[in-house]
Amino acid sequence: MGVNIAVQRKTAYPVARMSEVPKGLPETAENISRGGFNQHAGPIWRLPAEGEVRRFALVVAEKHMNSAGSVHGGLLMTFADIAMSQTARAVSGAPMCSTVSLTCDFVGPGKLGDILEAKVRVTRQTRTMVFLSADIVAGARMVAVATGLWKIT
Amino acid sequence: MSAPPGFAPTRLIDPFEIHVGPIFEQGEKGSKRFGLRVDKRHVNMNGVIHGGMLMTFADAAMGQAAWDACDHADCVTLNMQSQFLAPAREGDWIEVAPLLTRRMRSLMFLRGDFTVDGAAIYSVSSVWKILGVD
Repeated sequence: MGVNIAVQRKTAYPVARMSEVPKGLPETAENISRGGFNQHAGPIWRLPAEGEVRRFALVVAEKHMNSAGSVHGGLLMTFADIAMSQTARAVSGAPMCSTVSLTCDFVGPGKLGDILEAKVRVTRQTRTMVFLSADIVAGARMVAVATGLWKIT
Repeated sequence: MSAPPGFAPTRLIDPFEIHVGPIFEQGEKGSKRFGLRVDKRHVNMNGVIHGGMLMTFADAAMGQAAWDACDHADCVTLNMQSQFLAPAREGDWIEVAPLLTRRMRSLMFLRGDFTVDGAAIYSVSSVWKILGVD
């Protein structure tokens, strides 16, 4: 009986829920958190690019917070890493790119429910490396600024 | 898989650290070592630890050391610089002994070299602000 209830619950649970675009994001947003830590920390969404700027979004949930009521720095760096890694892969066409270094300034607090957006720019691309920067904003509020270096592998 | 003998779970209060933890520690305030056992939640599709998880572990470990260094005043990360030296994999035990480079009235500088079996895999330097002090 107990087993049946569990099975029914499992089947009744809307499986597509995670890929439904959250309120506040454009319908064209694409969930890029398909597994591993990316999914555990995410979900992270790819938004349509604006000219040279590649955009990603994360909706701040309870699990992303610190005890002071702000978004955790580790999550902000994770978001920056994923957004810039995706961009490094996209612009290089390489299946894999590895983060070599990443620097992050924590400019202001992100809050629960914020839609954080990472605006990623390519500073320079060489045969083997990609130099990137990302501004992480919540609307008009600046939350973090990150730069990093990716090796094309 | 758990921590090596002598390590006990660090008391975590940040929801994101609880979400990705546990992390472990050994030793006395001011000279603590911190450790993380890499599990399947922490890795990429290729079984290598995600850079974001390393940076989160670093923020947590440096944060604990910073908090100890300012007698448990409120403090926040202002800046963190990370260098990814080599991959760590699921099952690996990562260890760091955070080093307080300098403490000023309102700022603290901390760095750390992270190792697996004694080999450096990741290194950070960070700047912390003690809140409520000019």
